[in-house]
Amino acid sequence: MSISLDRVSVAFRSAVEAVHEVSLEVARGEFVAVVGPSGCGKSTLLNAIAGLLDPATAEVTGRILIDGVGQRERSRRDANLGYVFQRDALLPWQTLLDNTQLGLAIRGVPRERRLARANELMAMAGLAGFEHYYPHQVSGGMRQRASLLRTLAYDPQTILMDEPFGALDAQNRMVLQAELLRIWQQTPRTILFVTHDLAEAIVLAQRVVVMSRRPGQLKAVHAIDLPYPRDAFALRGSPDFARLETTIWQMLRDEFRASAGATA
Amino acid sequence: MSRTWSLALRRAALILAIFAVWELVTGGYGLGIVLVSPAILARPSTAFAELGPYAQSGLLWRDLSTTLSEAMVGLVLGIVGGAALGLGLAYARGLSETVEPVLVSLNSLPRIAIAPILLPLFGLGIASKIALSFVTVFFVVFFNTYLGIRSVDPELVKAVQVMGGTREHLARFVVLPSVFSWIFAALRTSVSFALTGAVVGEFVGASSGLGYRLNIAAGLLDTKRVYLILLILMVFAVTLVEIAKRVETRLLRWRPATTLGA
Repeated sequence: MSISLDRVSVAFRSAVEAVHEVSLEVARGEFVAVVGPSGCGKSTLLNAIAGLLDPATAEVTGRILIDGVGQRERSRRDANLGYVFQRDALLPWQTLLDNTQLGLAIRGVPRERRLARANELMAMAGLAGFEHYYPHQVSGGMRQRASLLRTLAYDPQTILMDEPFGALDAQNRMVLQAELLRIWQQTPRTILFVTHDLAEAIVLAQRVVVMSRRPGQLKAVHAIDLPYPRDAFALRGSPDFARLETTIWQMLRDEFRASAGATA
Repeated sequence: MSRTWSLALRRAALILAIFAVWELVTGGYGLGIVLVSPAILARPSTAFAELGPYAQSGLLWRDLSTTLSEAMVGLVLGIVGGAALGLGLAYARGLSETVEPVLVSLNSLPRIAIAPILLPLFGLGIASKIALSFVTVFFVVFFNTYLGIRSVDPELVKAVQVMGGTREHLARFVVLPSVFSWIFAALRTSVSFALTGAVVGEFVGASSGLGYRLNIAAGLLDTKRVYLILLILMVFAVTLVEIAKRVETRLLRWRPATTLGA
């Protein structure tokens, strides 16, 4: 198992329980999406898996294994984890080219090889010509693309994605979904993809995990029996897609309703 | 292009108009209109006429270089010292919590008020002015550095951590660049503070410098000389601030233009 969660709970010191006893196994090379209403603890769960929660404010219980190894038993670098944030989290003072090779620089890869890899990736993603631009000089779509490249550059086996396309307009979102699918189909990596967009989850993932409102619990897991390679654009109009969306939405709807009622 | 030219023209016209009116109300153009006594407000043409003798005596260059060196040395020391203490304290949380009220109290003290005590400490020479200049800059840079570290984007920290970055990586890729941006954003303020420190220091006691010369002229009721030096100081300050602005724009070119204009 690439990611193995056994009764994982996260409680904040402010006495708020964000995640309640989530157990989930994600196989090597599998693409799993997590959907749920906002504030349900999806992001907190990802942060817990990545070991990014501050122990001073959050307490994580249960067992989290990545490739069979717990967080305390090896360094983050050896865990070889990728994380794509909702906001691109690019370093604003570095060019797109430098941002793309950040993980390689941290791993001490020689400059020549770093540059070659970064240039190759940028060309592949249609960012050629923008190598020396700073993040603020390019569009949100290009920034998020660069952020994805930055993660792919050091070739992590497991990638956690926290609503990576959530801040993009509908057009850009679809383009990037298609690109992500293509990249994953070429080189399958384990991807745990958090989103509040059910359609996005169905288009991309092999399994969709539905989380309840806070404290986030695992409510259901749906296999998405749509064959790959998938066409992110064509799929949305298909009857299979509509069927899946209806089925999962019925489960999700109550959570969204309750969540909206709770915050109102 | 024509827009920038027309703006430059309008600005030049405004400055000329200010001087023309000033000249007029102080008895200029042989019209004999004296709305403000020349003992209070010197006529611009007579003030400018002072420039010749001031420059020829060699005092102008001496005063300029004295004030410039005081301000620049104070500026550099203030930036280095402020940044060093800011970084040091931000990394030593326990210490910073202890020291904070002391620094806040010192900061709330008007810095130039300590000028009189610097004189016996550092003497009449250049050192006491550097000290005053240093103190004024130091606090600005220190608080900016401190704030800069506190306001480092946590998401960038996470991004570097998840890639396996160590504390050194965090400092190199995230914390220091973020702090430098705060320090350089305060560069223009720092430059004018450094100049204020130097000039006020010269008021209190000195043997050369623009502030010293200004103080003497004021004591002698030499209004023409006073206004000449004020104008020189203004040009001097504008030049320094403009240089600072260019340095800032160059170093912070990764920033969106909107924050540069501020």
